[in-house]
Amino acid sequence: MKSKSKEPKPISEFQLALNNFKRNRLAHFCVYLLLALYGMAVFADFLSPYSFENESRQYSYSPPTPIHIIHEGKMTAPFVYGIEFHYDENRKRVFEMDKTQKFPIQLFQTGDEYKLFGVIPCRYHFFGVPEPGRMYLMGADSRGRDLFSRILYGARVSLSIGLIGVLISFSIGLLVGGIAGYYGGGIDNILMRICEMFMLVPGFYLLLALRAAVPDDFNSVQVYFAIVIILSFIGWASLARIIRGMCLSLREREYVLAAKAIGLSDLAIILKHILPHTLSYSIFAVMLSIPGYILGESALSLIGLGIQDPYASWGNLLSDAMSIVRIKFAPWILWPAFFIFLTVICFNIIGDALRDSLDPMLKKAA
Amino acid sequence: MLLAVKDLSIVVNDLAQEKTIVDGISFEVKEKTVTALVGGSGSGKTTTGLATLQLLPSGLSIKRGEVIFKNENLATLPQERLRNIRGKDIAMVFQEPLSAFNPLFTIGAQIEEVLMFHTDLNSTKRQARVFEILNLVGIDEAKRIYNQYPHHLSGGLRQRAMIAQALAANRSLMIADEPTSNLDVTLQAKVIDLFRKLKAELNLSILLITHDLGMVEHLADEVVVMKQGKIVEQGTTKNIIQNPQHPYTQKLIEVVKV
Repeated sequence: MKSKSKEPKPISEFQLALNNFKRNRLAHFCVYLLLALYGMAVFADFLSPYSFENESRQYSYSPPTPIHIIHEGKMTAPFVYGIEFHYDENRKRVFEMDKTQKFPIQLFQTGDEYKLFGVIPCRYHFFGVPEPGRMYLMGADSRGRDLFSRILYGARVSLSIGLIGVLISFSIGLLVGGIAGYYGGGIDNILMRICEMFMLVPGFYLLLALRAAVPDDFNSVQVYFAIVIILSFIGWASLARIIRGMCLSLREREYVLAAKAIGLSDLAIILKHILPHTLSYSIFAVMLSIPGYILGESALSLIGLGIQDPYASWGNLLSDAMSIVRIKFAPWILWPAFFIFLTVICFNIIGDALRDSLDPMLKKAA
Repeated sequence: MLLAVKDLSIVVNDLAQEKTIVDGISFEVKEKTVTALVGGSGSGKTTTGLATLQLLPSGLSIKRGEVIFKNENLATLPQERLRNIRGKDIAMVFQEPLSAFNPLFTIGAQIEEVLMFHTDLNSTKRQARVFEILNLVGIDEAKRIYNQYPHHLSGGLRQRAMIAQALAANRSLMIADEPTSNLDVTLQAKVIDLFRKLKAELNLSILLITHDLGMVEHLADEVVVMKQGKIVEQGTTKNIIQNPQHPYTQKLIEVVKV
């Protein structure tokens, strides 16, 4: 027993699960994809060629601008041609390339002013074309705003709402579930009946009802937080029920008795000795429920109750695509749906992989 | 008098009919002595131990009687005051340290937790204190054990760590609930030696809950024999072992001799 030379370093449960998780290539890839998406959201103002408000109405529903590298038969740096349009017999705009005008795509192009991280004033954009050229990577919306830029800005709202929402509702859910499960009896009864009241109403109608209770004169920041709070209001109940069930069994463990015997308070015991044991469940439950918040926000914004124009969120960008006619002649306005899809599926794959790697029974089977 | 249990009765109260588990027992634990609570399974000795700390499982409750500790009746103290006593004035050593330690945290962190709650030491001092206590209970490689998880340790080390946790902030009464019944014979002897050393060096009082009269003989100063919730005999160890009066005690002693 005295040999100290080759003692393996103690591995925590968490590290074990992490090692397991890394074996899942697809989930691993999804993690990087999500990180990229969140990175895009954080640096949206730098990465996007235009600000979310930058509009030029003559380019309404301009199609995605093709990027060329061959000009008059010769290879050059990437550039775009100018955009021209005329009206056809139905008074519909038809966009064409104006091959006489050539705008090179430049890195660190100066453009709309913004504040990096909300403090540092900055005019540089990662890429862009000099004025009067316009570049629409993913096409333009009805007011000639760059959809790509707006998707990046929208990611801020759509992606952060998932995280903040889940944070709030899980804190409430864990605490309520923990308290109900730990104390049992009357407290448990009351808390669970309250949970059921929330679960009783179909989620979307509850969402609408709560949204209706929010005053109309909120500015966009207030609306944002109202939506976060509303969404987390809906999500916590089901989690609280599951955690409560787990705590009912966990509180009978001897280390809980031992924790009482060293004088810890009930709250400390719940937070430190009971809830951490529900972590393996809650981690993947978090992952699997984030899409719900993103979709919830999108649904609210889609029907016009969420983030208001000119601010962008993926849901409110999609509201443009509610009419089939518009999708027919400007199919690129469906791009935000692709991003929602991508994010949701990433979270689901990661959540599934986490469940597999955190479950010790499955671990052996693998 | 350190601890005096007076006319303590504990009942199961979630049955249709009340069932008495501990029936009007009275005994005392004097300062700097080891008092053994002896009895077979189901005699109510563990329940008595838990009742001392007011940690009865749900469904059990104290029907009457007092638990006087340093002139305070623990049975009527408010929770907050009780929490201060638990771990600081009365600590508990559990039978199965593997389940009494939280598997998620290291041994060191769990011993420190006691200090965090009961003392004002900063984190470096707390850590030094943990090393000191681990050394005190005979763990040489305190630095290594500090970062180990409970399931990494051998049974003997775990039991020592458990004792260390009980001693971390407390130097007056330790309730040891069958501290050796999961250990093999050589380890039992070592733990008994440890208790004797602690009693001598720290002036510690121990309420030893056990069914092992061999251990009692080596360690205890006074013995309380329980059977089916009642005390059948009590006195000094010497008297009880050499001259048992009650047939149940006689039977217990015979078993050890065989």
